[in-house]
Amino acid sequence: MKWMPLAATAALLTMLTVPQAFADKLDDIIASGVLRCAIVLDFPPMGSRDASNNPIGFDVDTCNDLAAALGVTPEYVETPFPDRIPALVSGRADVGVASTSDTLERAKTIGFSIPYFAFEMVVLTKDGLGIESYESLKGKKTGSVSGTYEAIALEKDVTAWADPAGSFQAYQTQADVFLALAQGQIEATVVTSTVAGATIASGNFDGFMMGGKAPYEIDYVSLIGLRGEYGLINYLNLFVNHQIRNGRYEELYKKWVGEGEPPNLMIPGVYY
Amino acid sequence: MGVFNYTFHWRPAFQALPAMLEGALVTIQLAVLSMLFGIAIGVVLSLMRGSKNRLLSGFAVTWVEIARNTPALFQIYIAYFGLGQIGIRLDSFIALLIGITFNNAGYLAETFRGGMRAVPPTQTRAARSLGLSAVDAYRLIVLPQMFRVVFHPMTNQMVWAILMTSLGVVVGLNTDLTGVTQELNVKTFRTFEYFAIAAVMYYLIAKFVTLGARAIAWRLFRY
Repeated sequence: MKWMPLAATAALLTMLTVPQAFADKLDDIIASGVLRCAIVLDFPPMGSRDASNNPIGFDVDTCNDLAAALGVTPEYVETPFPDRIPALVSGRADVGVASTSDTLERAKTIGFSIPYFAFEMVVLTKDGLGIESYESLKGKKTGSVSGTYEAIALEKDVTAWADPAGSFQAYQTQADVFLALAQGQIEATVVTSTVAGATIASGNFDGFMMGGKAPYEIDYVSLIGLRGEYGLINYLNLFVNHQIRNGRYEELYKKWVGEGEPPNLMIPGVYY
Repeated sequence: MGVFNYTFHWRPAFQALPAMLEGALVTIQLAVLSMLFGIAIGVVLSLMRGSKNRLLSGFAVTWVEIARNTPALFQIYIAYFGLGQIGIRLDSFIALLIGITFNNAGYLAETFRGGMRAVPPTQTRAARSLGLSAVDAYRLIVLPQMFRVVFHPMTNQMVWAILMTSLGVVVGLNTDLTGVTQELNVKTFRTFEYFAIAAVMYYLIAKFVTLGARAIAWRLFRY
């Protein structure tokens, strides 16, 4: 059989080359030795910068943990909220560790892990404006960061109230929203309780205060990757599971948010 | 991995067309208003610049210098957050309109100044010697010739004004074409579809302006 060595060579070549062709994002990350995380850095305590301009926060530490688990070096790609997905799709980042709410609309475009954190929303306002509850936002000038979970919910309510005196402005960054609130361009915003707490505690803004809870569903946020990268998403799911299992989730919560129970990430009565 | 890990979803994107067209109307409205105000202020600035009064010419020079040598983004940001800092709170639409008008007026003032100079002073003298009054000489001889010179730069500024309206998102405007597009983008993450549609709309609006201007010029400026 003269063709046997030829066939064996061909088979060997196929074995050597074909797996290359199937290398997915997870393989690429491991091979390159670098994990590029898209992170939002004006969203304390999840992501912000310290006095010497280094990225810090819950999301930064989560990215570090993920990189350590993969045995690679983390690299932070600072991304404003609206640019998280373009950063992934255009290949500037491998994963998003960016407090991304897992809406069904977005899931048509990108892949979500199981939730790695959850937020409750509160009204943030300035004293002296008479805003004490979510209902008193009716007829007020409000604003939020374009495209965030709370912005979508708030705009929907402002539209439904249809109060001519009320309005909703969408800004591009959280910093602009705080600036607008400080200057009086808007009278209130809705932010996560963690952001409200960190912002009031920072003392950077005079007269900022909480205006009660916002009656939204709990905002579960996930790690994100490209929709078709099942290998990576599968790894992210297991990673989140381990973060909770080994107590790291609680540790990071205490480090960045404070004492108390970290949010329960289980949705009662349903499988993920 | 390919560079483009993305499959286009055009059907849902096209469903947003009515909302985006409404945004395009706001964009056109902003551009037209900013041009009308910009032309009026530009004429005044060019006259002030030629004035012997140092205060008036200084004011005009300062305006033109800032408008032409700083980014339009900065001018718009200042109109909103800068004025907000000193207690002047403007609506996003108004702040954007002021920012673009400021920019338009600065550029157009220089355009008009150049246009005035392009009409030789001998034209005025010849008109006067033929018996026209000073006002008539200016109105019937100088202005039509100046208008012919500045018409194309004005068209360019109009196109530039349309494109500048897209900077409104930085001051919280969510009703113009870019604002509407950005809202759709962040809700769905279908960035490329919506931005592509928006880009085509901007292109068509700008093209319509240049072609329209060419048609007007063809009617008005035939010898």
